[in-house]
Amino acid sequence: MHKLGRGHRDKVQQFMAITGASEKVALHALKASDWHLEGAFDVFYSQPQIKAFTDSRHLEELYSRYKDPYVDMIMADGISVLCNDLQVDPQDIVMLVVSWHMKAATMCEFSKQEFISGLQALGIDSLEKFRERIQFMRTELKDEQKFREIYNFAFGWAKEKGQKSLALDTAIGMWQLLFAEKQWALVDHWCQFLQARHNKAISRDTWSQLLEFAKTVDPSLSNYDAEGAWPYLIDEFVEYLNENNIIQKGQPIDWSLKR
Amino acid sequence: MSTQKKRNFQIEAFKHRVVVDPKYAEKTWKILEHAIHEIYNHNASGLSFEELYSAPKRNFQIGPLKRQIVMDPNYADKTWKILEEGIHEIYNCNISGLSFEELYRNAYNMVLHKFGEKLYSGLVTTMTHHLEVISKSIEAAQGGLFLEELNRKWADHNKALQMIRDILMYMDRTFIPSTHKTPVHELGLNLWRDNIIHSAKIQTRLQDTLLDLVLRERTGEVINRGLMRNVIKMLMDLGSSVYQDDFEKHFLEVSADFYRAESQQFIECCDCGEYLKKAERRLNEEMERVSHYLDAKSEAKITSVVEKEMVESHMQRLVHMENSGLINMLVDDKYEDLGRMYSLFRRVPNGLFIIRDVMTSHIRSTGKQLVTDPERLKDPVDFVQRLLDEKDKNDKIINLAFNNDKTFQNALNSSFEYFINLNSRSPEFISLFVDDKLRKGLKGVSEEDVEIVLDKVMMLFRYLQEKDVFEKYYKQHLAKRLLSGKTVSDDAERSLIVKLKTECGYQFTSKLEGMFTDMKTSEDTMQGFYASSFAETGDGPTLAVQVLTTGSWPTQPSATCNLPAEILGVCEKFRGYYLGTHTGRRLSWQTNMGTADLKATFGRGQKHELNVSTHQMCALMLFNNADRLSYKEIEQATEIPASDLKRCLQSMACVKGKNILRKEPMSKDIAEDDAFFVNDKFSSKFYKVKIGTVVAQRESEPENQETRQRVEEDRKPQIEAAIVRIMKSRRVLDHNNIVAEVTKQLQSRFLPSPVLIKKRIESLIEREFLERDKVDRKLYRYLA
Repeated sequence: MHKLGRGHRDKVQQFMAITGASEKVALHALKASDWHLEGAFDVFYSQPQIKAFTDSRHLEELYSRYKDPYVDMIMADGISVLCNDLQVDPQDIVMLVVSWHMKAATMCEFSKQEFISGLQALGIDSLEKFRERIQFMRTELKDEQKFREIYNFAFGWAKEKGQKSLALDTAIGMWQLLFAEKQWALVDHWCQFLQARHNKAISRDTWSQLLEFAKTVDPSLSNYDAEGAWPYLIDEFVEYLNENNIIQKGQPIDWSLKR
Repeated sequence: MSTQKKRNFQIEAFKHRVVVDPKYAEKTWKILEHAIHEIYNHNASGLSFEELYSAPKRNFQIGPLKRQIVMDPNYADKTWKILEEGIHEIYNCNISGLSFEELYRNAYNMVLHKFGEKLYSGLVTTMTHHLEVISKSIEAAQGGLFLEELNRKWADHNKALQMIRDILMYMDRTFIPSTHKTPVHELGLNLWRDNIIHSAKIQTRLQDTLLDLVLRERTGEVINRGLMRNVIKMLMDLGSSVYQDDFEKHFLEVSADFYRAESQQFIECCDCGEYLKKAERRLNEEMERVSHYLDAKSEAKITSVVEKEMVESHMQRLVHMENSGLINMLVDDKYEDLGRMYSLFRRVPNGLFIIRDVMTSHIRSTGKQLVTDPERLKDPVDFVQRLLDEKDKNDKIINLAFNNDKTFQNALNSSFEYFINLNSRSPEFISLFVDDKLRKGLKGVSEEDVEIVLDKVMMLFRYLQEKDVFEKYYKQHLAKRLLSGKTVSDDAERSLIVKLKTECGYQFTSKLEGMFTDMKTSEDTMQGFYASSFAETGDGPTLAVQVLTTGSWPTQPSATCNLPAEILGVCEKFRGYYLGTHTGRRLSWQTNMGTADLKATFGRGQKHELNVSTHQMCALMLFNNADRLSYKEIEQATEIPASDLKRCLQSMACVKGKNILRKEPMSKDIAEDDAFFVNDKFSSKFYKVKIGTVVAQRESEPENQETRQRVEEDRKPQIEAAIVRIMKSRRVLDHNNIVAEVTKQLQSRFLPSPVLIKKRIESLIEREFLERDKVDRKLYRYLA
């Protein structure tokens, strides 16, 4: 560290603060990108193997701690033990972020490959490090781009294997979880509407378009465009809102929720 | 005295010349002789009077004239006196004593001797003086004589002017152009204008007199049109500005006032037709007036005045006039009045638009009434016939009254399209109408008439938005016609199919054509069957099978009923034969579509041949072994679906004259616990009795729903196919464009709603034919 100039030293510290990586990793990444901070992030995230030199022996130990006794996977029981160790509620949305990092295919399951390479990519080889990272993962939800990725990841993660669409109950649960994080004033109306009128599974298109809808159309619907190529379910939702006088033009509902 | 003097030096001059040119006289005479010849030969156009008169002299006059100016200083005054005298005489119509030659020569000399100025100003003064006198005498003319006096004086003035011009010809030719003065004739006209027409006492009087005459003619009096024409002609001769300022301008103003008042009066007391008649007559009168005594250029102006005052300002009121307006005319087929309205309204801006607008809304509202009236829905054939009548009626109006105006035809078409589609059953009814015509309606009608009816039906068909619904029903109805052998004319059937094909393409009719092919093949098959060894049945019943290709026919998945043993035997034989000749096929009996002929002997020995449906036959055959059967027993034995069974029993037990069965208890409807007997007392005038099934010709409500649903289902793949076709060629397209293109592609069959298209797009996204663009969510990409 002492060998570095002051500007470089600042960058290393910044990098470490943001990524949570070790000094060694930070130096490596910054050097590889010729001391551009942005470039270093790219390097850091696209080449996970350089981020941390995790001890694969420790990873094996961690895995075997949670592994299901009958199959070579971590199943629901293992996950609840993990949550316990991490001092996190299994229902906590941060578990979705963890799954996203591990690129888990299905809810409540980690294959060995997902678990180990996921932790490797995160640079975690001990529970302490894991616990430290949880806090950082929470902040990742605030990032617009990452939230979108996590949101879209959630669809595939939550749906039943082999099915194309997401069961309504699961979808509603996920939405309530996700939109608790990213405030959307109409989420309760949306869920009520689905239960009252739709009662069918949710397609991927509807799932991903809903986030766009929540982000771009304001809750008073003043900038809603009927010709706007929204999925018909969203069109019907708007109709439902208007029919039931939930939206009164010019009288937007509680804004305080929206940040 | 003066003449004496002049002669003196001319003689001198001659003397002088004669010496110089001894041949002069001869040469000059040659010219004159030639001219005289030409005059006799009526070939005077090439001759110059002035040249003949003076040219020969020019050569030698130069010398003597120089001397003369010096000689007589009073010459100009004297000469002018002579000319002035002459002009006086001319104006007094006293020309017999005048020598034209002399006057001309004097005028000529004056110009020659540089007294042109004096001559010209003298002329102006003299003429002005005379015109003042004339003006007095015109002013003095009383009442009706005023115009006549004016006209007469004008004629006199013209005559005088003609003569004066001739006398002053030389001045007109040489002096006036070189000094840029007004030529004599024009001068005369100008002086007339300033002294007579524009004199204070005449100007307004003339206007008033003329306008009064026009007014009198308008109110029906006969006026002297010749006089009128002359006076107007005078004004025009004085220059178009005189005509316009002194007459036309006031004429148009007065006319506008007149017609404003008159139209106001008419509109209060006349009905629309009468008013239009009057307006048209007024318009014609004005045009006639122009041709009789006004400038042709005034026609456009005066007609536009009449159009504005009589038509344009009252258009709305006329069109909407109670009891006689446009709508009443349309209702009562008043072709003449309508034609009049059309030709009058066409003259003014927006006129036709108003007519078209009112007509369109009228057709729409009557049409809407027609198609939504629940009474009309009871009889589909009448319903369609009324539509056709309505169309004929309006076509005729447009043809006879509206000059076959394209914009009116378009308005009519769009109106029909609008209201026909208001009733979702229109496609069904049109198909039923065709069914009715092809079943019985066209018997004994010539081929041309059949074509006319079919063409009319096609015209209605064109208005339909849901052509696929029509196809569905048409298929059902055609199937029934073909299977029951009810088609009157094969040619008519085929002709309609050809029409549908030209309208909607091969796809639309391929299945219909398949049905005809099946009928033909079945005939051959039956011949083959009876020629083969399979058919040796002895006394068994004769079977006629129609083999229908699945998919071409609108087969309902119906539970097959239990056929009587006798029939079943023959059926099995046929099955054996058919499957033997066509391997790999499957036959299933459509018992709900067949018919049977039965020989029946009733209790008192009456023998009849009964024509019944297959279901009825199944039920009747049971009575060969039983006298009394309950509804339940029949249902169990035949396994005919309840609704069908009820209908077929109803038609055998409850229809008067066809009641071959007796029911207990007697009632109109079939109940679950009814019992049936053969009606021993059955009697009929005919040996052959046809037992119709009580068919709901129109579909019942649930059936209708079902057909709708099937149509809706059929549309889904069509919409998807269209989307894929479009996306395959465009690769990337935004939502609204896809909707527009799909609508366009499918228009010839039905009108897909945007919501429906959207749902199909979403389904295609789910099945990964399409995806949304990552950046612009309104864009779709085609995934190959």
